[in-house]
Amino acid sequence: MSEIIVARNLSKTLGNVKAVNAVSLDVRKGEFLAIQGSSGSGKTTLLSLLSGLDRADAGEIEFGGEDITSLTEDELALFRRKNVGIVFQYYNLIPTLNVLENIALPLFPESDNKKEMFDRAKVAAESVGLSHRLNHYPNELSGGEQQRVAIARALINEPEVIFADEPTGNLDTETGRKMMDLLKSLNKEKGLTIVMVTHDDGLAKEADKLIKIKDGVVTNE
Amino acid sequence: MRGVNEEISNHINGTATCRSWIDFRTTQTIGVQIRMITGFALKEISKRKKKYLLNIMVIGLVVVLLITLNSLGIAYKEASKLPFENIHSSIIVQRNGNVPENTSGAVTPCSLAPIKGEIIPQINKIDGVKGVSYGLFLWVFDKDSFKRFLGVDWNDDRGKRIGSELIEGSLPQSDTDALVEKAYALQHGLKLNQTIKVSGTDFAVSGIIETSGKDVVSSDVYVNLNSAQNMAYNSKNLQDTEKFNKNDVNIIFVDADQTKVKDVAAKLKGLFSTPSSTAGKTPTGQTTGAYSIYTPESFESQVSSLFLISDRLIFTVSLFALIGAVLIVIKSMSHTLLERRKEFGIMKAVGFRSWDIQKEVAAETLLQAIIGYCIGVALSFIAIFALAKTTVSVAIPWEMSPYPHFLTSNPNLIAPVQTYPFPIRFEAVYSAEVLLAVFAISLLTVLALSRYINGLNAMDVLRYE
Repeated sequence: MSEIIVARNLSKTLGNVKAVNAVSLDVRKGEFLAIQGSSGSGKTTLLSLLSGLDRADAGEIEFGGEDITSLTEDELALFRRKNVGIVFQYYNLIPTLNVLENIALPLFPESDNKKEMFDRAKVAAESVGLSHRLNHYPNELSGGEQQRVAIARALINEPEVIFADEPTGNLDTETGRKMMDLLKSLNKEKGLTIVMVTHDDGLAKEADKLIKIKDGVVTNE
Repeated sequence: MRGVNEEISNHINGTATCRSWIDFRTTQTIGVQIRMITGFALKEISKRKKKYLLNIMVIGLVVVLLITLNSLGIAYKEASKLPFENIHSSIIVQRNGNVPENTSGAVTPCSLAPIKGEIIPQINKIDGVKGVSYGLFLWVFDKDSFKRFLGVDWNDDRGKRIGSELIEGSLPQSDTDALVEKAYALQHGLKLNQTIKVSGTDFAVSGIIETSGKDVVSSDVYVNLNSAQNMAYNSKNLQDTEKFNKNDVNIIFVDADQTKVKDVAAKLKGLFSTPSSTAGKTPTGQTTGAYSIYTPESFESQVSSLFLISDRLIFTVSLFALIGAVLIVIKSMSHTLLERRKEFGIMKAVGFRSWDIQKEVAAETLLQAIIGYCIGVALSFIAIFALAKTTVSVAIPWEMSPYPHFLTSNPNLIAPVQTYPFPIRFEAVYSAEVLLAVFAISLLTVLALSRYINGLNAMDVLRYE
């Protein structure tokens, strides 16, 4: 497997805290990587740097062999739209949009065919088992369903990599288990590269590869 | 995998199928995008009605204010000109005179003192003058009744207009013929071919004329100009007040090229001599011997103070309304955006650029403006429709009233106020101007909010929300 993400000496300071301190890591194509750490360890910050959501103060990130650290804000937005899907702990759905619209959201800025856009959203919804809830709004869904919407939204652009930030952190054990199974199936069956942040030892161990982080520094690889 | 930077570079620089500043590729795509953005914005507004209601109401109120106020202003101006416009003349020339010693026989109203007939050819020579009509208007105080007595040239524009109101008989064929106004004829039992005595002179009623409510100079008896001039010339009371020559008149109507009315009025002023500083005053304070040159504008300015509404007032109120609307809408939208910053963070996280979000916010702002505008236009239409059903009273300068100001036998006739249907109209041009103003409000709002959207960092927002 070749590396899809290569990060070198990444550093990020938030306020007075060095959230990520000279972290280097590689993510291989099709790999399921877990980044584990306690609260405040810098794992979410590291994920945001790798996914292009935030900028590193220092260091370099190559995505598919291309340097993304020099991209402008708008270029980074396009990069995220084209290449990555992001799943958040708190789902981050837009309350005024229904399930179908939330899933289709990343396609919205450049879609020139509304029907095609929603057809793709329906396929993504089906892949996470939400075909029966398309017209519902986030406040009408359970936590697990909302997280499925978030995953479908992350899948809609057929990204190379899914970044998941504590995807089960806000779910009960059973629903969290199902969510983990879903991510694993996406990794195994569709060959998606998954980078997941978690504080849960059990979930972290299910990944192909585990990176532990503490005080912004990788403690094992 | 295609290189990320290559793909983005193509996207940004437009070397592929896209342009750098916009994702739109074809006209068809633009149409689809606009529909999608509009649909998205409509959904946002419909889902958060309460949040956007204030903006819509403010815009609606501003639209009502701007359209109605401007329509009112124009309508009042038009109303103030109505008495003048009904006379169908560009300029009216009169001259102030002395009050007669006593009210007997034929006299000229002191607002209509004699004007030398020799002046008329000079008026005709002024550049911009298309025609000149003139007449001699007298008040005749006979023992049995008061009469308004007008001598006209039946061949000039004014005379033809009056003659067209003939309802019975024929125009005067000689200087002893007269037309009698229908109401006056009814009141005094006058019929065709009967005789009417005016200041000791007998006139045969050759025709009945109906001028009430018509756009002609109102009088009771209409005769050849020559007849009226003879009567004035032979009136001792009139001659004692001011010398009257046989070819003098006392009212001149000048039909001028509409683009040159002001110039013609200025040149007319130059034609007439100014009375000395020791000249007497009329009962209402005008200088005796001074000429009054009325144009629609001068008439308007004379009466507009009564309406307490002026261009300056309208401009000031409109300006404050617009500034207020911009501030309220920006403040309200800023508040809404602040509440939605997490949504914008999400949008950025999933790949929206600042421009993509700005387009959405612009569409939402524009939609609110359009909804507010439509509501405002509808309300303005209703308000103007209701106002058009009312009447407006226009004060007539006493010197333009055809009745003596001291005659009290029929106060309704001499009341210096005339009532007209309020000439207010819903003008498409105002609503188009207001639409531009509303678009300007939207644009200013979007510009003010764009910086905020540009400065939003997805991770910062999502990290702390």
